[in-house]
Amino acid sequence: MTDIAIRAEGLTKRFGGFVAVDALDLQVQDGTVVALLGPNGAGKTTTVRMLATLIAPDGGRAWVEGHDVVREAARVRELISLTGQFAALDPHLTARENLVLMAQLRGDNGRAARRRADELLERFDGVDFRDRLVKNLSGGQRRRVDLAAGLIERPHVLVLDEPTTGLDPRSRQVVWSTVRELVAEGVTLLLTTQYLEEADALADRVVLLDRGREVAAGTPAQLKAQVGDQRVDVVAADGEAMRALEALLWERFEITTSEEQRTVSVSAPEEAADLARVAAAVSEAGIPVDEIALRRPTLDDAFLALTGHSATATAEEAGV
Amino acid sequence: MTTLAAPAPTSSGSAGRRSAGSPLRFARDTRLLTGRSLRAIPRVPERLLDVTVQPVIFILLFLYVFGSAIHVPGISYKSYLFPGIIGQGLAFAVISAGTATATDMSEGVIDRFRSLPVNRLAIITGEVMGQFCEQVLGMCIYIAFGIALGWRPDVTVAGGLELAGLLALGMFAFIWAGVLFGLLIRSPDAVQGLGFIVILPLTFMAGTFVPIHGMDAVPRAVAEWDPVSAFVASTRSLTTHMHSSGSLQLDHPQLAMIGWSLLLLAICVPIALRRFNRTTAA
Repeated sequence: MTDIAIRAEGLTKRFGGFVAVDALDLQVQDGTVVALLGPNGAGKTTTVRMLATLIAPDGGRAWVEGHDVVREAARVRELISLTGQFAALDPHLTARENLVLMAQLRGDNGRAARRRADELLERFDGVDFRDRLVKNLSGGQRRRVDLAAGLIERPHVLVLDEPTTGLDPRSRQVVWSTVRELVAEGVTLLLTTQYLEEADALADRVVLLDRGREVAAGTPAQLKAQVGDQRVDVVAADGEAMRALEALLWERFEITTSEEQRTVSVSAPEEAADLARVAAAVSEAGIPVDEIALRRPTLDDAFLALTGHSATATAEEAGV
Repeated sequence: MTTLAAPAPTSSGSAGRRSAGSPLRFARDTRLLTGRSLRAIPRVPERLLDVTVQPVIFILLFLYVFGSAIHVPGISYKSYLFPGIIGQGLAFAVISAGTATATDMSEGVIDRFRSLPVNRLAIITGEVMGQFCEQVLGMCIYIAFGIALGWRPDVTVAGGLELAGLLALGMFAFIWAGVLFGLLIRSPDAVQGLGFIVILPLTFMAGTFVPIHGMDAVPRAVAEWDPVSAFVASTRSLTTHMHSSGSLQLDHPQLAMIGWSLLLLAICVPIALRRFNRTTAA
């Protein structure tokens, strides 16, 4: 039991007639990173809010480090730290006041709380804006303070709900690198995301959610493998080159073409070896091309392949 | 990275975190969360205006604009008006507490508190205590401004203490009503809008600005049983020689005020707490 950080069995939550989470089973091993991936309305946030004891499940059970999230909610709250989609900070306190208050509510006395707050501000590169009111911080700064607040006490299990939604690429990188550091220190992490790239970059295991149910699970690589082979995309320099490329490649490889993008896609089950063969053939024939690249299917492709509909359809159905 | 490696639960300065339900922990959490609410007051201009500028405007409007045409026999209008203004200010606590609660609940910070091992009740009592301090500040401004304009309440030391106690009780009652209102309605704008529709007429009918006995039958019937009337009449009977009459509650305004306050508290406190906990597992 102790090597499983989070376990859920048949977890269910309904909002009126809408089943947000539908008999979900979930398991997160200690020290690993699991990503719940899905569009808006897939049930990601509802799931993590149940695990963090913020809302009660309508059915099923869940345990954090072996403690029932309903019956032992107080104990679970000591083990888990949830950083939500929207900054869980008091907008009318400064960054530092927020962190000091959280530390005090955790049980630290004033001096220990101030020391903890300052350490965290330093770590999250927030010393410059520590005395500014949270409502006046930029999105990226606020997110950093929010993450810091989630780490006031080193949690056993860290839950991040869409940690980079709405952030600029630079802030996203800051968040990612901090998350990677924490994971390297052995924190168990459950994160939700709509960004396929983010799940791919951070998670050991990805659970693809659609309409409150698991539709697929595995390592990012396994999920991508379910979708299909890698391919080599050759982008022709112009229309004439495009025709020459097609003529050259169709005899020797299995190809699909996209006239619009002047791209010939070559099936590449052998990855790099196939890439080398295609590149050699193209360069031998002297056809001008803009790009030759090995493409792996994205998790976006995975969603379409595994659910039979696009990610937007789920979001629209849920009315978000 | 040394920061996070520290085993926090046993680090120095930790105070009994396992006992989120203990009275000591409750008192400590309430104090911390009250401090949080208080710090917000000077930083939210509209909240500060509610308790400072708004009373001043009401006083000036009624004293010098409407008051010029109102004549209450046997008493100067100043002496008549200020107890009314105080009662009205008390009732407005429903709106400001409701708006503040709805705003607070819509912000993510409450979720953070809930996910911490914090006494749940303390989250609400912290809010209530913050509101209470804000209302006391507002009340002091009413009184100080009144005295600056020449209001001389005719009050004994014992009467003053009684009045302070009654006002404190009334404030708690109206604040809890506002907290429940804010928890039920959830949208700060809706609380503000609905609050004014319900509270404003009640405060105007309560013998606040004009005597109840001169009103038409319908508003008069409402006014005679309006809880705000009991508050206004109590304040007036303790600061002037004027005594209200006309209904059972107006004949005994202090008792009626205590009764209304206890009734409001008995209804609102349990429902508000249940409402606050309802969405959570524990």
